[in-house]
Amino acid sequence: MKSINVAVVGFGNVGRAFVKTLALKRKTLSEKYGININVVAIADSKGMVIKPSGLDDYEMLKLCEVPKSGIHMFGSYAKQGVDIAEIYDKAAPNIHVELTPANYATGEPGYTNIVFALKRGAHVVTANKAPLVLYYREIVEEARIRRLMIKFRATVMGGTPFLEMLSSMKSHDIEKVEGILNATTNYILTEMHENLLDFEQALRKAQALGIAEADPSLDIEGFDAAAKLVIISYVIGKPINISSIYRESVAQISLKDVLDAVKQGHVIKYVAALDAQKMVASVKIEKVPRDNVFAQINGTLNGVRIKSDATELFFIGRGGGRIETAHTVLDDVIEVALRGSA
Amino acid sequence: MSDRSNLCVIKVGGSLLKDSGSYIEAAKNVKRFVENNQLPIIVVSAAKGITDTLLEVAKGSVESFNKVFDVYTEIARELGSQRVFKRVLDELEILKRIAYSVSGGYDPSLQDLIVSFGERISKILMVEALEVVGVRALELNARELIVTNDVHGDATIDYIATANHLEKIVNSIVSTAAVPVIEGFIGATEDGRTTTLGRGGSDYTATSIAALLKLNDVYLVTEVDGILTADPSIISTARIVKVMSYAEAMEAAMHGAKRINPKAFEPLEKFYSSTVYIGSWRLFGTKILQVIPGECKGPKVIMHKTSHEMPYIAIIGEGVANVSFIKKVVDIIYESGVEVMGLQTYYYRPSIIIHVKRGSEISTLKLLHRKIFEEVE
Ligand SMILES: NC(=O)c1ccc[n+]([C@@H]2O[C@H](COP(=O)([O-])OP(=O)(O)OC[C@H]3O[C@@H](n4cnc5c(N)ncnc54)[C@H](OP(=O)(O)O)[C@@H]3O)[C@@H](O)[C@H]2O)c1
Repeated sequence: MKSINVAVVGFGNVGRAFVKTLALKRKTLSEKYGININVVAIADSKGMVIKPSGLDDYEMLKLCEVPKSGIHMFGSYAKQGVDIAEIYDKAAPNIHVELTPANYATGEPGYTNIVFALKRGAHVVTANKAPLVLYYREIVEEARIRRLMIKFRATVMGGTPFLEMLSSMKSHDIEKVEGILNATTNYILTEMHENLLDFEQALRKAQALGIAEADPSLDIEGFDAAAKLVIISYVIGKPINISSIYRESVAQISLKDVLDAVKQGHVIKYVAALDAQKMVASVKIEKVPRDNVFAQINGTLNGVRIKSDATELFFIGRGGGRIETAHTVLDDVIEVALRGSA
Repeated sequence: MSDRSNLCVIKVGGSLLKDSGSYIEAAKNVKRFVENNQLPIIVVSAAKGITDTLLEVAKGSVESFNKVFDVYTEIARELGSQRVFKRVLDELEILKRIAYSVSGGYDPSLQDLIVSFGERISKILMVEALEVVGVRALELNARELIVTNDVHGDATIDYIATANHLEKIVNSIVSTAAVPVIEGFIGATEDGRTTTLGRGGSDYTATSIAALLKLNDVYLVTEVDGILTADPSIISTARIVKVMSYAEAMEAAMHGAKRINPKAFEPLEKFYSSTVYIGSWRLFGTKILQVIPGECKGPKVIMHKTSHEMPYIAIIGEGVANVSFIKKVVDIIYESGVEVMGLQTYYYRPSIIIHVKRGSEISTLKLLHRKIFEEVE
């Protein structure tokens, strides 16, 4: 039996769902794959727990019950303040799981954590897009020279293995990738069409349901979708820069626009597109004919069309959702555990 | 498959949960089960009065939100730990955000979401109370486990999907040996929208979990020692019914019996015939079985319904529709001179319905209760 030690940095929606999923499934995983996944450290923004021998199932589930920013309140093994070096000094994790929030101005705290982990010899799995969007080359190079893996399939259509599939299409010349990549704005647009809410009402409902953030600007201004296009562009080997992506804001869509579109047999969608031949990318408001595939992708679903020189594929699935995303992160961890030399 | 012979389900009704003391009291009683080598799955309702208050919150009442806030933060504070207090505040913060966003009119899905906080917070408090009395406990999340259709306000459980979820966690429950606590009354659709199961929905959650995991015993705890032969506010001599069948319980529920939710028997009929114990922490006076032995047949409960066009009395029990019992009832009525407007029985139904003149239902009820339940042999 191979034992793998994991450190989880970021303990919000995805972090908790990851730890919980692992607590519930790791016994089955060890029977199925012969790997024992131990969580040796967890950190949020205010504190951390470190247990070099690995937390047991009960402790992991109990940790998921601490309040927000409350890891330091978890009696045993917990302390106030975050010091990633201390995690590495005390518990020497083999895999670093980075689940901190995305900051597109600096890439922090993700970038520093990821590079630190690689330097200390840990493979990295991240759901945080920002470090990749800003420093993809640096991170991949850092991993390559150390023969470590960096996995990030939860960063695009996080509830699905979309990126894994895309990166496996190695013989293809990918010409175009386009679709609905942001769940929050797609939900808002669906509400506007189905329940005839105006943008503000639909946004408020999305916030009430926890689909949109208190500050929804990354989604609404198209930043999140653009960041995903950047990661896609790296995966297919045609890198583009986020600042070169043309973006429109969904906030400008009125209920009248929706009604007009519907009258003409269309629906309004927020479409992210990367044209890998022309090397241009955009996140735009588009009128899509009602019988088009994208018109059927509603609510928090995501849908992408991949066009290559050989084929055309559609991929539909949940874009996010903490449990789905946690599974994608866990799939990355399992893959690293199975393949890694750790 | 792990050994689940020591698992059972206990539903703690909201009428019992008034203050921090009552959470501790419930926890101590659960502890007795644990000390008896049982591992109960706790299904918890919202604290007393909270569900109704949350319905007002869903209509936009700020005052009602403050009431919920006060009740739950006070219980959390009294239970002691900073951690749980902060946790309850986090939940209330989310509730507040949702409540303030509903100004745009009635939306059944948001109403369910708002109401669900009654159970969500109550669960956190119950887990804390258990830990306080020294019982290892863990939260389960009904919105991840109990899958329902999308009839907001009165959803029905999707048994197959729910069974799949429950099967996945049951081994962990057994292996951590921690008492799991789950919210009653709430669930979620396949695509994650929060739903509620209608009045009495916590019983339905409890029996569904028991039936789907094939557990033998379900305890429904309220403040009364069991089901009574009649409404004690009318008939002070009403006594506890010791054994009933599912059919009798459902028939009683159909005629409006309190404390029995007809939906709760569906999973038991369909999947596994768990025994349902109804009562208080002091005494689980009533046992409800799928099939009752012959000697337990006969009248169980008598009740009246006035809201009907023509008031009626219902006598419920397997075997009451046989001719000798009907004759007994007819004799009682005949001798007392009660004016009867109609009498209805079917051999396949465990009941006799006696329609009486408006105004005479209470006296007839008392008479029949005395003759049938008090003057036996
Ligand atoms: N939610 C999804 O469905 C989804 C899907 C795909 C990808 N993602 C990405 O996954 C990441 C996590 O998402 P989430 O929804 O879980 O976010 P979240 O709920 O905001 O959680 C972020 C966590 O990171 C912690 N954190 C912040 N700064 C930190 C620091 N300096 N050191 C250590 N921890 C720090 C936060 O601590 P506190 O708890 O103390 O605030 C919090 O626990 C994000 O980058 C997001 O874009 C999310």
